[in-house]
Amino acid sequence: MKKKRFVYPLALVAVSLLLLLAACTPESRSSSGTPTAATGEEPKVTLDFWTFWGSETRRPIIEKIIDDFNQSQDRIMVKHTYLPFGDIWTKNLASIAAGNPADVIVNDYADVNLRASKNQNTDLSSYLAEDDIESRFYPELWNNVLYEDKAYALPFNTDTRLLYYNKEAFREAGLDPEQPPQTWAELEEYAQKLDKKSENGYEQVGFYPLWGDFGVDSWLINGDGGNGYFDESDQAAINTPGKVATLEWLKSWQDRLGRQTVDAMKADFGSGVSDPFISGKVAMYIQTGTYNTQIEEFGQDLDIGVAPIPEREAGSGHWSSGGGFVVEIPKGAAHPEEAWEFIKYLTDVDAQKYWAMENFDNVANIEAAEDPEANENPVYQASVENLADTKVFQVPLSASGYKDLINPHTDAVFLDKETPEQALEGAEKDVQALMSKNQ
Amino acid sequence: MKTTAQARAPKHARKKLSKLARREELQGYLFILPWLIGLFGITLFPMLFSLYGSFTDYDVTSRMNFIGIDNYARMFADDPLFWKSLYNTLYYVALMVPLTTIGSVLLALMLNEKIAGMRVFRTIYYLPAVLSGVGVYFLWIQLLNPSTGLINTMLGWAGIPGPAWLSDPMWTKPAIIMMKLWSVGGGMLLYLASLQGVPSQLYESAKLDGASAFRRFWHITLPMISPVIFFDVVTSFIGGFQIFQEGYVMTDSGNGGPMGSLLFYNLYMWNQAFGLFNMGYAMAMAWVLFVIVLVLTLINLRMSKRWVYYEGGDD
Amino acid sequence: MGRPALSSTGKRKSGEPIDAYNVPVRKRRMKPREVFLFVLLSVGSLLFLLPLWWMISTSLKSPQEIAQYPPTFIPNEFHFENYMHTWQAAPFTLYAFNTLMLAFFAVVGNVLMNSFIAYGFARIAFRGKRFWFSVLLATMMIPGFVTLIPQYVLFSKLHLVGTYYPLIIPQFLGSAFYIFMLRQFYMGIPKELTEAAKIDGANHLYIWARIVIPLSKPALAAIAVFAFNGAWNDFLGPLLYVNDEVLYTLQIGLQSFRGSVQTQWNYLMAGSVIVLLPVIILFFLFQKYFIEGMNLTAGTKG
Repeated sequence: MKKKRFVYPLALVAVSLLLLLAACTPESRSSSGTPTAATGEEPKVTLDFWTFWGSETRRPIIEKIIDDFNQSQDRIMVKHTYLPFGDIWTKNLASIAAGNPADVIVNDYADVNLRASKNQNTDLSSYLAEDDIESRFYPELWNNVLYEDKAYALPFNTDTRLLYYNKEAFREAGLDPEQPPQTWAELEEYAQKLDKKSENGYEQVGFYPLWGDFGVDSWLINGDGGNGYFDESDQAAINTPGKVATLEWLKSWQDRLGRQTVDAMKADFGSGVSDPFISGKVAMYIQTGTYNTQIEEFGQDLDIGVAPIPEREAGSGHWSSGGGFVVEIPKGAAHPEEAWEFIKYLTDVDAQKYWAMENFDNVANIEAAEDPEANENPVYQASVENLADTKVFQVPLSASGYKDLINPHTDAVFLDKETPEQALEGAEKDVQALMSKNQ
Repeated sequence: MKTTAQARAPKHARKKLSKLARREELQGYLFILPWLIGLFGITLFPMLFSLYGSFTDYDVTSRMNFIGIDNYARMFADDPLFWKSLYNTLYYVALMVPLTTIGSVLLALMLNEKIAGMRVFRTIYYLPAVLSGVGVYFLWIQLLNPSTGLINTMLGWAGIPGPAWLSDPMWTKPAIIMMKLWSVGGGMLLYLASLQGVPSQLYESAKLDGASAFRRFWHITLPMISPVIFFDVVTSFIGGFQIFQEGYVMTDSGNGGPMGSLLFYNLYMWNQAFGLFNMGYAMAMAWVLFVIVLVLTLINLRMSKRWVYYEGGDD
Repeated sequence: MGRPALSSTGKRKSGEPIDAYNVPVRKRRMKPREVFLFVLLSVGSLLFLLPLWWMISTSLKSPQEIAQYPPTFIPNEFHFENYMHTWQAAPFTLYAFNTLMLAFFAVVGNVLMNSFIAYGFARIAFRGKRFWFSVLLATMMIPGFVTLIPQYVLFSKLHLVGTYYPLIIPQFLGSAFYIFMLRQFYMGIPKELTEAAKIDGANHLYIWARIVIPLSKPALAAIAVFAFNGAWNDFLGPLLYVNDEVLYTLQIGLQSFRGSVQTQWNYLMAGSVIVLLPVIILFFLFQKYFIEGMNLTAGTKG
């Protein structure tokens, strides 16, 4: 094969493709929007809205909301760009650094303050001064968007965790399906009644606290009166008696079932692909409110009920944990005023109600969340009610990265390498060291 | 490295380069010009920026103050996760490189034969190397399932009780190494290509001399493909040090696995850079890694003089 | 056992290789060693094929069946329509075209330029070569993502963000990995081959184009395959530099099946299988380059 004969046509094709490329490529995106005209006429402003809602279920919903906004007025045109979850924030960071960020972006609720301290989002105080919409949001969520008492984002949605239980299994075990367990003691009692052993393991496990969407950190909140790892004055509150007792209680479950069994069964569960509760392997399971959509899709025949997370003892509180997302204006966005209009719309009743009803998601706008239409679904209603008990924590800036220090210790407890006291003591020491370094 | 006879120009005699040598030199630079353009255009600036950044408190968007060697000091003296992640990565590299190199060579040798269906076989063995992404990780999570996964099932046939690969801190890294071994197809490709360059007359004459298959391999094949082995080892090292995604995706906590056993160096660096925005610190970590890899590569380079054979003459 | 000794006048017209074996391989019975090898390879293939089978199997299942445990090896019902659905879920045809274009440039750029540059490092003597080669190696040792942001900012200042240029231009400026690899190959070419040409007055360009390139086809084929894969599977690059969904590539498109809460595995796997096909086809087609030998017999001391 003579190479020479190949080179020329190849080069020709390459050159022509390059020309084609140059012709067709949209112009390098400088800040969106056209330059302001010299006349008094208001030009149309285009906003770039980045989300990670690209799936077939979510995308139409957000795009309808955007569409409604675009139709409702003439000044602003919002354009939606989908970016994969996780990577969207890498790109966000790079674009802020380069000075050409999106106009509005959906971001995580937990580190709004971190981003604010790093100049990555826009202070909304001046807009709020004219348009105080703070009261439309759940106070717990509003706290999370504050940095130095100023708001840097608006809460969009949140979630909460409930105890799902299989009523049929309850009946089989002689338990009243309308009386879910209220306390830890009842939880243990019911779980043992619901256990169904088979020759080489369990056919059904009543309950295991760490299966499901309620991790060690969530339980520690539940068992310690709703207090997280940091108290109100941002001091580490990791090694508290409540948390130690909780960790011991959690460990006792593993001791009872046996570590091998727990690991083996856990490995058989996966997120999204094979669900233990739906397939009947676990009778009680803690999950988010939106989990109900999975049940409706994959487990229509199940007879289920939901309940708040059992409290440690009567009166200590059915504390649950939550997450969520906010909408914010990246620093350096070209049209903050128009972006403000849009995020106001996104968090207003109409958009929020639509989002809630289509997604069964918990939204941040109180009025939308408590709207009777959405609340017709009992699980949804339960999740909205549960919001009152849901703790959503902001991380003190000096403790950024604390999870990497705490998790190895809590892991060690379940690997029999540390006792609960040792683990929490060690964790608190490590986190305090981190915080003092960062002061 | 010796220059060719015509252009032997010891440094002190620089001024006396012959015309021929200068012409040669010009051509040399012309040939590497595209790379030099790329280097100065888009590679050098970011690299030097990150070097400078490692001495600052750069957080990408709000500040970049010179803080001297603070980042480095903190890393070595005050950061247990630094050492842990470094250990994890070194462990991985130390096992992965020899195993995958030997595996690739063996595989290439086997696939170099003229047997029926070889084309299909080659494609099959190469396949895993191009499969990337979430699907692969998820598949391996299935394969590594302690009770019903294929790996433990096969071990069970041999009477060995397999461990809880992804939950037991001791076995998480070997699990990842196993996963990598399955992608030896990439290296295999390389060796296949290089095996073609071994002149068959060498084998013929050796056979005529009565050399066994093993001796032919040891004395002909190995030396002839040694430049490529060297390349493979060096790049495997360098690549191995960059491992990070696996630790993130394959475990529950997503942040380094049980007891941080899959917290690879790069993963920790990523968390610092993009999770906590301690970009200056991450840059310092990157340069520390650079130095480590550099030292190891130089060692490799020196050792290569003993076992790498360049047919075209080493220079 | 019939292969003739190699003719020593193996060189035809200058630079044109001949097949190392002058006779066609006749069909004959396999030696026991070969049978053993065949069996070994077949068994191994099963293990290596397992993931692909799993991907295909998942892609044909219904979501309910995917949710079953233990996973069924062969789907109970074959939902071929998953593939149609997947393809239509996002503008994959467009994405495929985009990705193909990027991959094309990657292959052309890398095959041409890296062999060009590597030749300089391998076969030309110049002062500072060792230094520059060390720099080359050094550039490989920096973890990519600390240079991510500065590089992005650089391209942004050049107003190239939002186009494909940041993804294409570097393909023509050499890649340390491939340069290193080819340099190793080139250093294995006997000097005598090139010396002869030099004596005849050839300059390096001629030697590169007419002697070295034909001799290094297997290596170049390997690079073509690697470069194609690299561009085809590149995710972070297009993600960062492309702002308009019209320019998205296949890998980005695939991610849309992953939600923050839940993943649509059947469509994701179907998409992954589709995306994998060109890679497999390319590799299969390029195979002949891996087995066509480099002929180094002319005048060597072998």
